[in-house]
Amino acid sequence: MRWRPATRRRNRVPAVLAVLVVALAVLPLLRDSTGFVSDSRLFTMTQMFMAITVASSWNLTGGFTGYVDFGHAAWFGIGAYGTGVIMSKLSWPFVPALLAGAAVAAVAAALIGSATLRLRGPYFSIAMLGTFVTMREVARVWRPLTGGGSGLTMPPILDRPLFYYVTFAYLVVVVAFAFWLRRTRFGASLVAIREDEIGAEMRGVNTTVAKSAVFTVAGFITGIVGGLWGYQNSYLSPGIAFVEARTVDAVMMTILGGLGTVAGPVIGGAVLFWLRDVVWANFLDYHLLVQGVLLIIVVLYVPEGIVGKLRRRSGAVAITRVWRRADARRRAEPHGAQPS
Amino acid sequence: MTELLQATINGVAIGGFYGSVALGFSLVWGVLGVINLAHGELVMVGAYLTWIMHRNHGWDPFAAVVVVVPVMFVVGYVLQRMLINRVIDKPHLTALLVTFALSIIISNVVKLRYAGTPRSVRAAWSGSWRHGDVTIPVTRFWVLVFTVVLMLALWAFLRYSRLGAAIRAASQNREAARIVGIDIGRVFALTFGIGAALAGIAGMLASPLLPVFPTMGPPLTLRSFAIVAIAGLGRIHGALLGGIVLGLVEQYVATYVPEYGTTLGIIASFALLVTILVLRPRGLFGGLRPAH
Repeated sequence: MRWRPATRRRNRVPAVLAVLVVALAVLPLLRDSTGFVSDSRLFTMTQMFMAITVASSWNLTGGFTGYVDFGHAAWFGIGAYGTGVIMSKLSWPFVPALLAGAAVAAVAAALIGSATLRLRGPYFSIAMLGTFVTMREVARVWRPLTGGGSGLTMPPILDRPLFYYVTFAYLVVVVAFAFWLRRTRFGASLVAIREDEIGAEMRGVNTTVAKSAVFTVAGFITGIVGGLWGYQNSYLSPGIAFVEARTVDAVMMTILGGLGTVAGPVIGGAVLFWLRDVVWANFLDYHLLVQGVLLIIVVLYVPEGIVGKLRRRSGAVAITRVWRRADARRRAEPHGAQPS
Repeated sequence: MTELLQATINGVAIGGFYGSVALGFSLVWGVLGVINLAHGELVMVGAYLTWIMHRNHGWDPFAAVVVVVPVMFVVGYVLQRMLINRVIDKPHLTALLVTFALSIIISNVVKLRYAGTPRSVRAAWSGSWRHGDVTIPVTRFWVLVFTVVLMLALWAFLRYSRLGAAIRAASQNREAARIVGIDIGRVFALTFGIGAALAGIAGMLASPLLPVFPTMGPPLTLRSFAIVAIAGLGRIHGALLGGIVLGLVEQYVATYVPEYGTTLGIIASFALLVTILVLRPRGLFGGLRPAH
């Protein structure tokens, strides 16, 4: 038997989290007293909270379930447009419009997922990329509803601390939800799907229902973020509501932090935004370029992410191991295709 | 009736171009097993090279082939040696993410250097032939002819040359090819170089047809994927047929749905892709490798 210390080391994570949450909650109160907390910094923080929430949502399907969605930003755009259209055309107040807009995103995710989730591996990813591009074109074409290319304007609201608190609270709720979900039986069945879908099916997991459910929930979560973002921006157009970079951000943050862990998107997102804010703030033009390079470096050299590096039994799954079984099966089959 | 005939002519003509885009994508996927999400960006670079030769030296777009092919071949060879080689034996996802990142890098480098403004290349011989009520678009027609010639050349290369035989061997059975003494690493690098050169040629063909801009790539990559799903992997004549099917779908929708047609045509081609993948995961004629 291994030797164990008499008193087990206390788990400091809850205490650190509590301090962090309190610190972030009082940050806007320091706005007037210090130069450190400016309106623009609050705005940046708000953007970060939203991006991390989207990443956490992406992690539910991409990380836990192993279905790597390259079109996740579609739900963001649909949520933004859903909320915006309901507010401007039906003049509903913001909160019901937000929920309805996210519900539209969830329904879209359920419908599209019912088709695309039958696909595995790269085929699913590409189909979702196609879905994303299609959705942007739909927003461009459906002029009576979305205003087409010229966009949609909403009543403006300029209250930085308000958005800061709302997005922060929502982030905490979503991360707590992911934490809870990972520990349920349902969460375990999602991980089982990632590790071996056929095996999970044989052990009695209804994989179709599980995949659709988590995909729909992810659509709803991201749809809410889209609605919040659209309201804050008070203007929507297909080009700014449906942006590939949002998917790239979500994938990047999650992999950098640790794919398939609850903390991964949060840590990865904080690091990424810190890098952006501090290291390459003066090179805004190079922003996406640097991010592409960083993504390659992370995928090739830190595939298990920061969490996976720090804690050995974190549950982080190296990106290079996702689809491993599926690919092993693929390789075992004789190669049928050949150039004729 | 005239409308139908016209749409068919346009669809077949643009389908030739789509086929040329899918060629390199299909070759790289079939031989290396890598789904190159940066393929559309390689096409874009080829289109920019053509535009530069056209603007600076007044070259005809098709004459740019003497620049595009060697440059893109070297680019592809180096990319394979430096980057793609590291992901070939890893699960699909790694390659997908790395080439996705590569596509972001390429399009942003081009955007930084040449701004996002759409550029256009005008060929001296462009215009249209009228025959009765139908118009035959000259540019698209020559692009189609060029594509057919290109496909025959590629087919002959793979069928009759030593290197072509090595490429086919590597795609059929990597281990066996290694055992009989084929330098797999070199064959893969050459294949990726050829794939990039084909992408460059497709870009050259695109330059008189489409506006040339940094983000023109992703829709082309998706169309290549759709064509491979329709036609099967690594089938050269299939790329042309798949391209024509896609071109016809887009043109029919564009013709018969007024006002929104052109955009709906693009949507229709992606919807076709998703539908085929869902209903027939091995592709329309069973040419795709299944993903479990």
